[in-house]
Amino acid sequence: MGDPIMKGKAVPHMIGLFPLGMMSLFFLAPLAFMVVVSFYERDPLGFYKVAFVWDNYSKFFSSFYYVISLRSLWSASLGAVIVVLLAFPAMYIIVDMSRRWQLFWVILLLSLMCLSEVIIGFAWLILFSENSGIPKFLGWAGLWEDPRSLSPSFGAMMVGYVTLGFSLVALMFLPQLARRDRSIEEAALTLGTPPMRVFSKVILPNFKAGLISALVTMFVYFLGVFVMPTMLGRPQDWNMTVIITDKAVGDANMPLGAALSVVMLIFTLIIIGSLAYASRTREQGERS
Amino acid sequence: MNSVKTLAIAAGLATAMVSNSSAEEITVSAWGGFFEETLKSAIYPGFTEETGIEVRSIAQPADQAWLTQLTNAARAKKAPADLSLVADEVFIRGQSIGLWANLDAADIPNTATLLDGFTKESEDGALNAVGALTWFTTFVTNTDAAPDAPTSWADLWTRDWDGKLGLTSNSNSGLIEATALTFFDGYDTMETREGLEQIIAKIAELKPQVQLWYRDEGQFQQSLEAGELAGGLYYHDVTMLSAADGRPVTSTFPQEGGILGDAYWIVPRDSKNIDAAEQFINYMIRPDIQAKLARNLGVAPVAKRETMDLTDEEFAAISTTGNAIRTQTAIHLREGDWLSDKYLEMISR
Repeated sequence: MGDPIMKGKAVPHMIGLFPLGMMSLFFLAPLAFMVVVSFYERDPLGFYKVAFVWDNYSKFFSSFYYVISLRSLWSASLGAVIVVLLAFPAMYIIVDMSRRWQLFWVILLLSLMCLSEVIIGFAWLILFSENSGIPKFLGWAGLWEDPRSLSPSFGAMMVGYVTLGFSLVALMFLPQLARRDRSIEEAALTLGTPPMRVFSKVILPNFKAGLISALVTMFVYFLGVFVMPTMLGRPQDWNMTVIITDKAVGDANMPLGAALSVVMLIFTLIIIGSLAYASRTREQGERS
Repeated sequence: MNSVKTLAIAAGLATAMVSNSSAEEITVSAWGGFFEETLKSAIYPGFTEETGIEVRSIAQPADQAWLTQLTNAARAKKAPADLSLVADEVFIRGQSIGLWANLDAADIPNTATLLDGFTKESEDGALNAVGALTWFTTFVTNTDAAPDAPTSWADLWTRDWDGKLGLTSNSNSGLIEATALTFFDGYDTMETREGLEQIIAKIAELKPQVQLWYRDEGQFQQSLEAGELAGGLYYHDVTMLSAADGRPVTSTFPQEGGILGDAYWIVPRDSKNIDAAEQFINYMIRPDIQAKLARNLGVAPVAKRETMDLTDEEFAAISTTGNAIRTQTAIHLREGDWLSDKYLEMISR
C-alpha cells in the first residue's frame, strides 16, 4: 500500500529537480565563484592571484565603503517605500474604474515597463535641465527667479527610482486588488466608518502580506540599479552597485568587487529575513 | 531579361567571394563614438587601398573596462581584436602580465620618424607597442557662460563659476598633476602619500563649484554645449571640433600647460594576424597619415614635427609648443587602489 503513494510522490520530486538544476547552474554556481574570488589576492598591475586572504573584507570596514553601503540601503528602502505608497492607492483607484479606463491604465503601465533604464534616465535628465524642461518652464511662468538645473541631486535620483518601479509594483497589486472581497469594505462603510479609516483600518491590513512583498521586491531591485544613480545622482548618492562596477570593471579589482558584492548580499539577506520573520511573528501573535 | 540580371548578380557575387577569400582581414579596435567612426571612414580605407587588407573596425569601451576584457579573453587564448588603441596606463598594466604580442621592429621601419619615447619595449628588448597619437586635456569653457577664457589652472579655484563646473570623477584625469604644478612643488609633491593628500584636499575646495563629476564624457560635452555647465576639464580635440560646428565652446591651454595623454597600438598576444597588424602600424605612423589624423580628428601627432606637412596654423590648433603636463602614470599605478579610493572618498563625501 505504501509503494503506489511513494511512486506518486517521486514524480513531483523529479520535476523539482529541474528548477533546482537551473538554480544551481545559473545562480548558485556563479555565486559560489564570486565568493571564491572575494578571497583572492589583488594584483595591482594585473588581475588577481589565487590565494586565501581577508584583505578584501577588511577593506570594507577600514575605508568608507560601509558608509556607501548604508547609503545604498537607505536610498533603496526610501525608494521602495515611496513607490509602494504611490502605486498601491493608484491601483486601488484604477481597479474601480470602468473597464475601458482600466484597460487604458494597464496598457500605459505595461508600456512604461518596456522603457529601458537609460531612456528613462535621459528623459528625466532633459526635463530637469536648466535650459529645457521643468526649471525653464518655472522660470518662464515667473515661479522661479533664478532657475537652476534640478539634477544631479538626490531628489532627481529618487524620481528616477519611482519611474522605474512604479509600473512594476502597480501591476503586482492589480490581481490582488481586482479580486478582493469588496463586501468587507462595504460592511465597514455601511456601519458608518469614514472612507479614509476604511482604507487604513480595513484595506491596508488586509493587504499586509502583499505590501511587504512589494516592498521587499522593490528594495532588492533598487539596491541593484546603476543607471539612475550615475545619471541623475551626485557622487554622494552613488550606491554600492556603482562602486562595485567601478572597482571590478574600472580598476580591474575583481576580488574587492566580489567581496563588496558578498557583503551587500549578506546585508540584503539579513534585512529580507528579518522582515519576513517580523511579519510572521506578528501574524502568529494576532492569531493566538 | 530576368535571366541576364540573375546571371550578372551571380557573376558579381562570385567575384566578390573570390576576392574576399584572397584578401586578408584584420580587426582593429579604437575608442568608440566619433573617434572610431572617423578612423573607419577617413583613415582605414587608405590602408585597404594600399595593401588589400580589409579592416574591420570595432569600438572598444573605456580603458580599464577594455583591459579587463582583454585579460579575460587572453585567459581563454582569444584576441577580441588584432590591434587595439590603448592609453599609457593600459599598456603598462597589460605588459606586466604579458598580454601583448612581440612585434618585429624591422617590419615597422616608419618608427624612425616618430618622436622619442613612442616605441615601447619589453624587458628583453622586444617591441611591444608603437605610439599612435597623443591628445590634450585642457580647460574648456562655454563662451556664453564664461566669456573670458581662463589663463591658468588656478582660475578653477579663484573664479566664481556659479556652481557650474564639470570635472571627471576619475582620479587619473590629470587634475592631480595640474593641481600639483599650480599650487605645490610639481610632480615631486605627488611622490608621497602626504603630498597626494594635500593635493586632493586642494581639489576638494572645488566641490561647491562642481555641478557634475562626470563618468560619462558624452554627458559632460552635452551639458557644456547647452550651457548647463560653464567650464571644466575635457578633451581639446573634441571641444575644438564642436566649436568648429558652431557651438559656443572653446578650449584653452592654461599657462601651466595642457594635460598630455598618449596612446599606443598594441597587438594582443593571441592575435593570428601579426604580420598584417605590423603593416597596419607602419601605415598609421607614417608622417602623412599622422598629418591626416591631426586634420580629421584634431589629435596631436606622434611623428616628428618636420616630417609632416602641417602648417604652423594647423599645428597650433591641435597641439602646443608650450608646456605639457604629463600624467604621472608610474605614481598612479604604484598608488593605484589607495589613490582611487581617496579620490572617490573626497568627491562622494
